[in-house]
Amino acid sequence: MGNKTLTICRAAPYGSALAREGLEAILAAAAMGQEVDLLFLGDGVFQLLDNQSPEGIQQKSLHRNLQALPMFGPEQLYVCASSLSERGINPKQIKIPGIDIKVIEKPGALIASYQCVLNF
Amino acid sequence: MTLHLVSKSPFSSSALCDCIKCFAEGDVLLLIEDGVYALRHGALQKLQNSAIYCLEADAKARGQQELTAIVSGVTMIDDAGWVKLCTQNTPIVSWFR
Amino acid sequence: MKFSLAVYSAPHSSQSAASALRFAKALLAEGHEIYRVFFYCDGIQIGNNIAAPPQDESNLAREWQALQREYKLDLVICIAAAQRRGVLSQREAERLERPSANLAEGFELAGLGQLTDAVANSERLVTFGS
Repeated sequence: MGNKTLTICRAAPYGSALAREGLEAILAAAAMGQEVDLLFLGDGVFQLLDNQSPEGIQQKSLHRNLQALPMFGPEQLYVCASSLSERGINPKQIKIPGIDIKVIEKPGALIASYQCVLNF
Repeated sequence: MTLHLVSKSPFSSSALCDCIKCFAEGDVLLLIEDGVYALRHGALQKLQNSAIYCLEADAKARGQQELTAIVSGVTMIDDAGWVKLCTQNTPIVSWFR
Repeated sequence: MKFSLAVYSAPHSSQSAASALRFAKALLAEGHEIYRVFFYCDGIQIGNNIAAPPQDESNLAREWQALQREYKLDLVICIAAAQRRGVLSQREAERLERPSANLAEGFELAGLGQLTDAVANSERLVTFGS
């Protein structure tokens, strides 16, 4: 079905619904067999931290939803290197079981290789 | 090449800076809505040699039409020009926060 | 050329919702095809037929409805996002036991699969975010 698409995730989790609704769209696409590649950029990289405990703010863990990705297809995701370093995040702090995390220096070249990009 | 739509002011959002971080050679920038305030922001100089467009109606609405942008060569376009840019470039990435 | 639009912004909250309509009109005027407009996140508020903007302000929902009639546009509202925020068809209102339905004519509720389908079947996707 269709071309391979890239979804760019720039929203931090919890503060707005965008990160969650973006992830829901990604999971829906993957469940339909669409090949989806993911790029986490800017505050979106905060979605990847593995010590999220949002019980105290009555929200469900977004990180747990991310862990569902490999069940639907995606086995890797791209992360912008400078977004991590600007925020003082060591790439070792971002772990999702079953997902290969690729830290990239030049997100522009990656983006340009797709016909359709979804933005969240 | 990628068409980047920036719709937030660079004075209050990381939209423009994130976009610039993802700008590849040959990419095109279109400023819309509050994104037109980028015409006054120094970060735009990093795209000195790139194609930069601005929606004229959005700039006019904000009193930015007479402004000499911080970089030369910004082209004001109408909605038909916007459509044309979208047909000429792929993918289209929106930087809206 | 075949376009789809993704709209995340609520009408009367940010210019982005109006930009989407303006862009859709320009596309159609230039002879392009709109495969689907998918309203997601706060963008689903466009389908709330209880909204009553003042007479002297633009009425985005009414303008989308007019375009829909003229061009037979596929205006899809994400059902999950709409349930959370309170835009329901008669059927959904009954199923969820809510006191009333408020889905505006010309719009339909459907799942996120319709966004995936739009991406797969369009040559261009343009997102109108928050």
